[in-house]
Amino acid sequence: MSLWDRILEPDGLTTVFQPIFRVTGGAGGIGGERIPFALEALTRGPSGTNIERSDVLFEYVRRKRRESEVDLLSIAAALREAATLPELPALSLNVHAATLEREPRLASRLAELAAAHGIPLDRIIIEIVEHAPPWSGPQLLTGLGELRDLGVRIALDDVGLGQSNFRMILDCRPDLLKIDRHFVAGAHADPHRRAVLESVADLAVRLGGEAVAEGIEDERDFAAVTEIGIALVQGYLLCYPRSSRSLRERGFLQPAA
Amino acid sequence: MKARMLVVDDEESILLAIREYFVPLRYEVDCAQELEEAEALLSHIRYGLLIADLRLTGIHGNEGLELIRFVRERSPWTRIVVLTGYGSPEMESEAIERGVDAFLQKPVPLAALADIAATLTHQSLSQTPSQAVRRTA
Repeated sequence: MSLWDRILEPDGLTTVFQPIFRVTGGAGGIGGERIPFALEALTRGPSGTNIERSDVLFEYVRRKRRESEVDLLSIAAALREAATLPELPALSLNVHAATLEREPRLASRLAELAAAHGIPLDRIIIEIVEHAPPWSGPQLLTGLGELRDLGVRIALDDVGLGQSNFRMILDCRPDLLKIDRHFVAGAHADPHRRAVLESVADLAVRLGGEAVAEGIEDERDFAAVTEIGIALVQGYLLCYPRSSRSLRERGFLQPAA
Repeated sequence: MKARMLVVDDEESILLAIREYFVPLRYEVDCAQELEEAEALLSHIRYGLLIADLRLTGIHGNEGLELIRFVRERSPWTRIVVLTGYGSPEMESEAIERGVDAFLQKPVPLAALADIAATLTHQSLSQTPSQAVRRTA
């Protein structure tokens, strides 16, 4: 069986989740309350293959130019798994910009799947990833418009890197700007990084949205980020990607100090 | 330190034979049958050695040479051994010109392949990427 056929098998793709928390009170991150804000669904490839790792899986998929098919399969797997969680916060689903451009069924398929699993559409966030050029604005914007009409929120991944630039921010009008880990790691000791974080956080608010700091792996960076005023945080320090069962059993879906 | 190698061939039996021979020799061996699979691995994992056939399962038709080009551009520290059943003097010249370290015709005794791998991975581990680029320029 080919690698591609393994992906297409009923359980070919599986989902783990990494929470995004909202930190309230306790300036500096430490001592405040962490409330689950959303779960980011992360797809794993077929077990035992070279593409079980998500980075290798999506590199393979992009090289095959099959992003749209795998994005739809990933969404189906994530919704199926998320539906088993009684205390589901928002659910963030990664979608390649290429899928928004090339897959006209995205919004209708998402609506079907969400209804089938009983997940309200206003609890879903579509996170745009890998928006490398060339991208043709009109198709992508049409796709985004259809998603917004469903009540879905939009997040832009890797803000600050590559093509997550001001043009993408203006065109996509994201509700959430996810700041890449590159700007978070070491922020506690680097005024330039903190300046970038402050700038993006301010921009997000001015645009009517909110910033999310990704890649929180160090308590000092966690403190720096929250002191800046970024309340939405995600990273290994707070929670590794876990199965739905593990999240539930370890209490990551409940507010915690 | 274990050397990590990627073996790329569209014949599963060859992948299995090479893996079984090299793992006891303390190599960490990954195997791939497709160009895109190999490129995805090379994009995220640092390999000391690539052993590749020129004919692979892929969408281009000249996958082996495409893979060599990819490795030389994106992973210059990786040594390359071409192991092929379809070699011609012209193909060998082109492969060497593209930066292949060794060009071998199948069948090759695994012991001979292991000798070449040992030499190349020792060099690979002791050279910086920039030295490897110069060597293959």
